[in-house]
Amino acid sequence: MNNRNYNIYFNTHTISGIIISAILYVIFFAGSFAFFKSEITSWQQNTSAAEISKKDINFNTIVDSLNKEYNLYGRDIYFYMYPRGGAKIGVSVSMSKDSSNKKRGGYFLYNSKTKVQSNYKESYDLGEFLYRLHFLAQVNGIARLGFPIGYYIAGGVAFAFLFALITGLLLHWNKIISNFYLFRPWEKLKTVWTDLHTALGVISFPFLFIFAVTGTYFLVSFPLMSKPTIAMQFDGKKEAFDKTMGYDDKNVPMAGKAIGKEIDINHFVSETFEKWDLTQLSYMQISNYGDQSMQVSMDVVLPRSEKFVGTGKIVYEAATGKVLEVKSPFEKAGYNGVVKDLVYTLHFGNYGGYATKVLYFLLGICGCVVIISGVLIWLVARNKKNIPGRKRKFNDWLANIYLSICLSMFPVTAASFIAVKIHPGGGTAFIYPFFFWSWLALSVLFIIRRNNYKTNRDSMLMGAIIGFFIPVANGVVSGNWIWTTYKKGFYDILLIDVFWLFVSMGAFICWYLIVKKYQKTNNTKIENSNKIEQEKELKKFRIS
Amino acid sequence: MPANKKYLSSPGQRVLKVTAALFGGYLVSLSFHQLLMTFLDKKTVVITSFFSMYILWAILMILAFLAKNGWKIWATYILISLLFCAPWIYEAYIK
Repeated sequence: MNNRNYNIYFNTHTISGIIISAILYVIFFAGSFAFFKSEITSWQQNTSAAEISKKDINFNTIVDSLNKEYNLYGRDIYFYMYPRGGAKIGVSVSMSKDSSNKKRGGYFLYNSKTKVQSNYKESYDLGEFLYRLHFLAQVNGIARLGFPIGYYIAGGVAFAFLFALITGLLLHWNKIISNFYLFRPWEKLKTVWTDLHTALGVISFPFLFIFAVTGTYFLVSFPLMSKPTIAMQFDGKKEAFDKTMGYDDKNVPMAGKAIGKEIDINHFVSETFEKWDLTQLSYMQISNYGDQSMQVSMDVVLPRSEKFVGTGKIVYEAATGKVLEVKSPFEKAGYNGVVKDLVYTLHFGNYGGYATKVLYFLLGICGCVVIISGVLIWLVARNKKNIPGRKRKFNDWLANIYLSICLSMFPVTAASFIAVKIHPGGGTAFIYPFFFWSWLALSVLFIIRRNNYKTNRDSMLMGAIIGFFIPVANGVVSGNWIWTTYKKGFYDILLIDVFWLFVSMGAFICWYLIVKKYQKTNNTKIENSNKIEQEKELKKFRIS
Repeated sequence: MPANKKYLSSPGQRVLKVTAALFGGYLVSLSFHQLLMTFLDKKTVVITSFFSMYILWAILMILAFLAKNGWKIWATYILISLLFCAPWIYEAYIK
């Protein structure tokens, strides 16, 4: 590689990296936990997915109670089933197409175990919070700009990350093979960080690359790709685009006549399950409730163990029970179906069991380590005598703030688990202030202390100690001790507890190694200065 | 060990290259996919673009930084975009 290209990769990699580093860390850290979103939800609410069979949900009673509340005639009702997502079902009711029925629609969550309805804010849990923090959804609320500013920032960061990844790989190109597994933790700190950054970065490159590309797609593809495509290829008609892509909701015209009989929704559901063994319901739409034109349409999905991409659809005419449209989930998915599914599957890591999720978590944490070590290399590379003092001060200040914000996330997240265990029904009104205020307070303390070593050391120790008490808190508050959930087969709840024990142990080992390394470098420094003084005295002695 | 300044651009050139990388690269990547849509199945192209749009754009960004002259890379990217958009321009304005 010629020198010019090398230096260009170097400069663009460094600058794009340092700009996005702190936000990218937040995204990676929250995202690593978000792989366990539904398990965290189950854990917080003491409702294991093992207790719930979503095949036994009585849709008729839900619809009856909705009918009393909204008068459903002419409305569409949507059920978002989250097949892998614990007890929650999202339910949404549209406006009526019958103009005499003016009451507005609504959206709420239905707990299929407790059979309780709650609105979105009340049922907000820590899994949802960390998942949304992962793409900065909370930032959207800061300013009303007419577009989701948080999503766009996260999307921009994801794309800059993609750029930094590729330039980083090119920069390291000649050493990829020779340094593939090169870790030298016994060397001086700068070498340790460089090894972590380059070797770990290369090893996890394929995974990080996928996260960057798909993440960018999720957050900015609408303004950057869909909108221009609608304008150029579809004469500015979004409906035409949605229809081509298969994004459109079913819009059935009203007949204007009442159907005149009770419709048994459960019957259609069980008919579908009989038709396709092993399928799970992922989405159901009831169109034009109570009208002659009423339809029940269901999207189903096969478990990943049966078929990697297995989505099907069936539409029933309610009045006659006739099947209007059918696509079997066992059918071949084709290029479009697979790629459309892949963009989510690869990012969410939900195609395997818990082992896959744990692996994804570890890769996410690898991302965090690569980011932090990158910032530290950036700092020490500029801590030289030929760099003006003013600049060095600024660099110290920036790295101090970055590290304080990033590393304090770990103990704060651990503490949030205990907080939501003690106060599980708090919703946004509890989680937002708890998480953000404690994060701010801890960051400010670390920033004021201005010692990166102590920031790292203390956040590891705090996280380890608090993390250890998470399973204990679960046992004390809800009686779900590790052995109880194991016996009952509540593996999602058990997973979170065991997971935290391991994280806590890992953090404790990190803390121990950090302290030992620091003492060792300090001792060698003292020894060196002692040696120099001894030599000076020897010289004096000789001269005299 | 920050990058050697000898190989980096002057401030004016840097602005040109950064904008060419971000906006020019985006235009080329977008217009390339629009071109594909004129003779391939639109749905397939859009779905492929979930991945290809951003990978192509990132590569074009790197090419812009590697270019010797910021003006030239801007001109190249604009020309390529216009070329890729030619079928669409013909449909929308000339026909």
